[in-house]
Amino acid sequence: MPLHKGRHLRPLWLAAVAFLTGCAQKGYWLAHPKGAIARTEWHTTILDVAVMGSVVLVAGGLVAAFLWRYRVGGKSRSYDPTFTASLVIEVLVWGVPLMIVGYLSYFSVKSVFATNPYNPLAVRRAVAREARMNGAFTRRADPAGVNAIDPAAHPMRPLRVDVVTTDWQWVFIYPKQGIATVDELVVPVRVPVKFDLTSTTVVNDFFIPQLVGEIDIMPGMRTKQGMIASRTGSYHGYSDDFSGGGFSWMGFATRVTRPAHFKDWVRRVQSAKDHLTDTRFTRVAQPTINLAQKIRHFSHVQKGLFDHIIEQVMEGRVYRTPLAMTESMTKPMKVRLIK
Amino acid sequence: MLVHYPGPWSPLLGRLALKEIPYQNPILVWTFVLVSCAALAIFAAITYHRAWGYLWREWLTSVDHKKIGVMYCLVGLVMFFRGFIDGVMMRTQQVMAVGPQSPGYLGALHGYLPPYHFGQIYSAHGTIMILFAITPILIGIMNIVVPLQVGARDMAYPYLNAVSFWLTASATALVMISLFVGDFSHAGWVGLSPLTELAYSPGVGVDYWIWAVQIGSVGTTLASINIIMTIIKLRAPGMTWTRMPIFCWTALSTSVVGLSSFPVFTAAVALLSLDRYAGTHFFTPGLGGNLMLYTDLFWIWGHPEVYYVILPAFGIISEIVPTFSEKPLFGYMTMAAASIAIGGVSWSVWLHHFFTMGAGPGVNSFFSIASMLVGIPTGVKVFNWAFTLYRGRIRFDLPMLWALGALVLLLTGGLSGMMLAMPAINYTVHNSVFVVAHFHNMLNVVGFAAIGGINFWFPKVFGFKLDERIGKRAFWFFSAGTVVLFGSMYALGFMGMPRRIDYIPFVSWRPLLMSEEAGIFLFLIAAYYMIKQMYVSIRDRAQHRVTGPDPWRTARSLEWLTHCPVPFYNFALLPHINSRDEWAWRRQNGLVNLRPDHYEDIHLPNNTFVPMLLGALAFGLGFGMVWRMYWLAGLSLLGIVVAVIARSFEPDSGHTIPGVRIREIEETLPEELDGMEPVADVAGGVVAFQARTAPRAPAQEP
Amino acid sequence: MSQEAYIKPAHAVLWQSHPPGHDVISTKTLGFWLYLLSDSMIVSSLFASYLVLNHRVNAAAGPTAGMVVHPVVAFFETVLLFSGILAYGFAMVGLKRGDKKAVLSGLASAIILAVGFLVIEGVDFAGLAGHGMVPERSGFLSAFYALVLYHGAHLVFAILWTLVMIVQVAREGFTENVVYRLLNLKLFWFFRKRFNNYTLPLIP
Repeated sequence: MPLHKGRHLRPLWLAAVAFLTGCAQKGYWLAHPKGAIARTEWHTTILDVAVMGSVVLVAGGLVAAFLWRYRVGGKSRSYDPTFTASLVIEVLVWGVPLMIVGYLSYFSVKSVFATNPYNPLAVRRAVAREARMNGAFTRRADPAGVNAIDPAAHPMRPLRVDVVTTDWQWVFIYPKQGIATVDELVVPVRVPVKFDLTSTTVVNDFFIPQLVGEIDIMPGMRTKQGMIASRTGSYHGYSDDFSGGGFSWMGFATRVTRPAHFKDWVRRVQSAKDHLTDTRFTRVAQPTINLAQKIRHFSHVQKGLFDHIIEQVMEGRVYRTPLAMTESMTKPMKVRLIK
Repeated sequence: MLVHYPGPWSPLLGRLALKEIPYQNPILVWTFVLVSCAALAIFAAITYHRAWGYLWREWLTSVDHKKIGVMYCLVGLVMFFRGFIDGVMMRTQQVMAVGPQSPGYLGALHGYLPPYHFGQIYSAHGTIMILFAITPILIGIMNIVVPLQVGARDMAYPYLNAVSFWLTASATALVMISLFVGDFSHAGWVGLSPLTELAYSPGVGVDYWIWAVQIGSVGTTLASINIIMTIIKLRAPGMTWTRMPIFCWTALSTSVVGLSSFPVFTAAVALLSLDRYAGTHFFTPGLGGNLMLYTDLFWIWGHPEVYYVILPAFGIISEIVPTFSEKPLFGYMTMAAASIAIGGVSWSVWLHHFFTMGAGPGVNSFFSIASMLVGIPTGVKVFNWAFTLYRGRIRFDLPMLWALGALVLLLTGGLSGMMLAMPAINYTVHNSVFVVAHFHNMLNVVGFAAIGGINFWFPKVFGFKLDERIGKRAFWFFSAGTVVLFGSMYALGFMGMPRRIDYIPFVSWRPLLMSEEAGIFLFLIAAYYMIKQMYVSIRDRAQHRVTGPDPWRTARSLEWLTHCPVPFYNFALLPHINSRDEWAWRRQNGLVNLRPDHYEDIHLPNNTFVPMLLGALAFGLGFGMVWRMYWLAGLSLLGIVVAVIARSFEPDSGHTIPGVRIREIEETLPEELDGMEPVADVAGGVVAFQARTAPRAPAQEP
Repeated sequence: MSQEAYIKPAHAVLWQSHPPGHDVISTKTLGFWLYLLSDSMIVSSLFASYLVLNHRVNAAAGPTAGMVVHPVVAFFETVLLFSGILAYGFAMVGLKRGDKKAVLSGLASAIILAVGFLVIEGVDFAGLAGHGMVPERSGFLSAFYALVLYHGAHLVFAILWTLVMIVQVAREGFTENVVYRLLNLKLFWFFRKRFNNYTLPLIP
């Protein structure tokens, strides 16, 4: 007897079960979001998988059932080669996918706006929720509202971080604080963070799986991202778009701290001896593979450095990758390594 | 005008020098030794059997669509193997290079491949699999099947067909030679902009990629024109549009997609080469270039290209499923409409390949909905195949197994595809291995269908079947490999693992990487069985020989209305089409006699070596440009122009085979139709026939 | 059932009684139309690139569209180009009459006018280059030159083809092969006219 479909489907079922149980494990970062954006994205994923999964199950079940029932040697005696068209079925097979696509499109558009990197509604909603909770707390403590929070002093004011990728390191500039770091991102918890991103050389992709989705980083251009972290802790961020030889080592440590700790950290970095001027930056931006993601701190960042970097790239400044650092097989790899 | 690049240059050899040959690298040296041994063995065998003349006359200079199709498939299968070995190397590197403690060999910090070698391997894997493996195999199948299905003697332009093939072959040769002379690109099969710019990739790798894909895409564009014209102009009388086999519908749709999208790719790559050769600023980050322009142009081609490969696969499934269900295809008209619809929608979804570029929510919403729309005609196809099975008599022959495997994969691929079409989800998995798992899932649909198609039509072309028992083993190992490897890869996507990394920074990803390695091991076993299947079938071809026109006994469309193997003139007399499934109709009405009552002269085009010469010159042009030996490139270009003009002066009138000769050939061919079981056909109200005694026409009324 | 009308097997025609009339010219011409479709996709990609890069930012503080196109030069170029196409049209009228001489003189004048166009364009570009307006200057100039030089390359190719056709018409007369090539070449010349038509309004 020929092998039938059901047996072939079994590994798929096992894989699905493995997936569902697997997602409960810690390593599945996307399933354990720690920020408003990542959470919205994961919820959208669940919705989409549920809807599409049921359709796929129905279709797969239909195929499996037909294969079993109408196999040669099976019990069915209802062979009918004239069954080649049916208006009802045609309407159904066009109509049902259309309705599902319509349904998913609605959620897609909704979630696009919620996670729009330039103006994420999810962050605004998280801020509003936070404010409501603060407000409720304040009202309980202060029913008359006499000590209502001063918006100017409110910790919800977004933190601005400028992100520059080089070959193959991350430079995070905190313009307000006048500090910069290499391969380390520290942000306070429950405070919206606004990123401006650019690259000195090629396209990279900014990604912290548990906090925020991907956004491309392009040379001579500015992209934006917004996020808000809901839990303190250490997370992993890295580049997600191939950028050459050091790409695999292009990670950065992400720490979400309490606001007070963040202030301490800023003060500590502000006392760093290394200052980040344009000339210093040019040296930092030389092709380097930072193997262990060694962190460096800079204080006294030159005013407007981020815009300056973009302008220079637009005006034709090229941070060349030497021949020995590209795809060449015959030239020995000469890369500045930080071990 | 010409730009500067690092490194020396000489007028004679350009950038080429002895030290560009990577003989220090043991992997490449051993590959070279193996490849040379294989090549020497083949050469020796051909010489020993004195087959050079045969090879030259019957294959290399042939304009016969079947032979060109076979050569396409052969090139595709060889490159498929090469791409597969690349895949094995990548998987092995990734499982070896996990965590900072992992050891390094052969000069790599971790694993055995330094980043630049890994970059070349993943780029070669992608470029080869999509452009030089799957595409040639599908064009080969279309080349063989489409003229037979529409009832023609050859393609509309047999000579152009040979040119297309030789251009593809020379592009393939360019990719292969990059393995041993110089480097290949490290910027992916997509040519990541601006990484492909001279400032960031100063070697010759990207140039190899540029010229290989450029020459190959010209070949594919010409092949598309040919297939469209064959379908429009050469359909047999009586074959109205609605009687055309469904595979021809998909071939038509896919060729329209190919014809209209490949030129965009040509333009994008041409502008990129201007950047690299003439110092222009199309895609540079500075001085007014716009790197997203390249990304847009690339994907305006790139997305239609993936439908270019999926549509013929749908066509193959649509031919196999009815054959082994003993039923006509359910909803023929909607299937044709869905094929055209998929081709049409393919043009309006390209932006979903870079949802993360920071476009506004309106733009992303538009392309999200457009991408989801693809799910509708695809869903229709799945359901129509399901209802083709409904009330059928389903046999699980080898082609059917591959087709059903493709169907199951299409379901899972559709699920992940709908996820990727939602930007909010896409943001989390965009450049991760989730995407890699998704498109391997979908390309495996194509792979399954293509292997099914090869098994299905193999007896038609060669006159013997491929071994079923070994083939089934290959199928099960291939399926298991697909589930294990790409299932793990999907899971890794949820862990956030980026694609294209050669060093794995997080140890937590190791278990799934090992599972992927197990999957690739299953693929290796499948590959072994596939090669064994081919070998055993050819060795024991006498046992696998088929007689009569239809070895599957329940096939339906026109290509089965001629002998196996198909004689060089296809049909002794061109058939007149009476029904949608002409062969099934004739079989059910007892009209299976292959011998017409009279024979006529047949006019066929002459063999010519010019296409091969053009291929060789195109190779010279590409190789000269890669190494900047401008004299070689210039001479080759001149040679192409001269050859084309000289050919236009040659009065190629073809040759005529007299009807008497056709009768002689036909009478030597067996006309055994035994083993064909009577088929009760309720549709026609006509009952069984006796194959051996079937009269020519008319059939007895019941 | 959406199955088509059922043909009675007894009355069915199974084989073609005589070979199909092979219409070489229409097959070749339709195929050439398809080639033109693919070529127009390249042209539209170049137009798209030009439109994207015709922006102040992409001029990189260099010349903009208004500075590289001289309306008077463009006028004369257009006149020459269209006259060349008209000359080819006259050759086609000659073909219809079967007049070898008319065809040859039409083709020859088309070539002369096209060469005139190329000369003017060459002088124009030399002038631009003299002012430092070269393709390497900026993204805008790259796109500008790519567009006009692709047009120029078509013209060179058309001239070459027309030369070949002059020889073939003179040698072989109006054989089937020559006629379909003349018809395809006509399409090619007229295609360049469309190309030019779309170029003009883009350049301020």
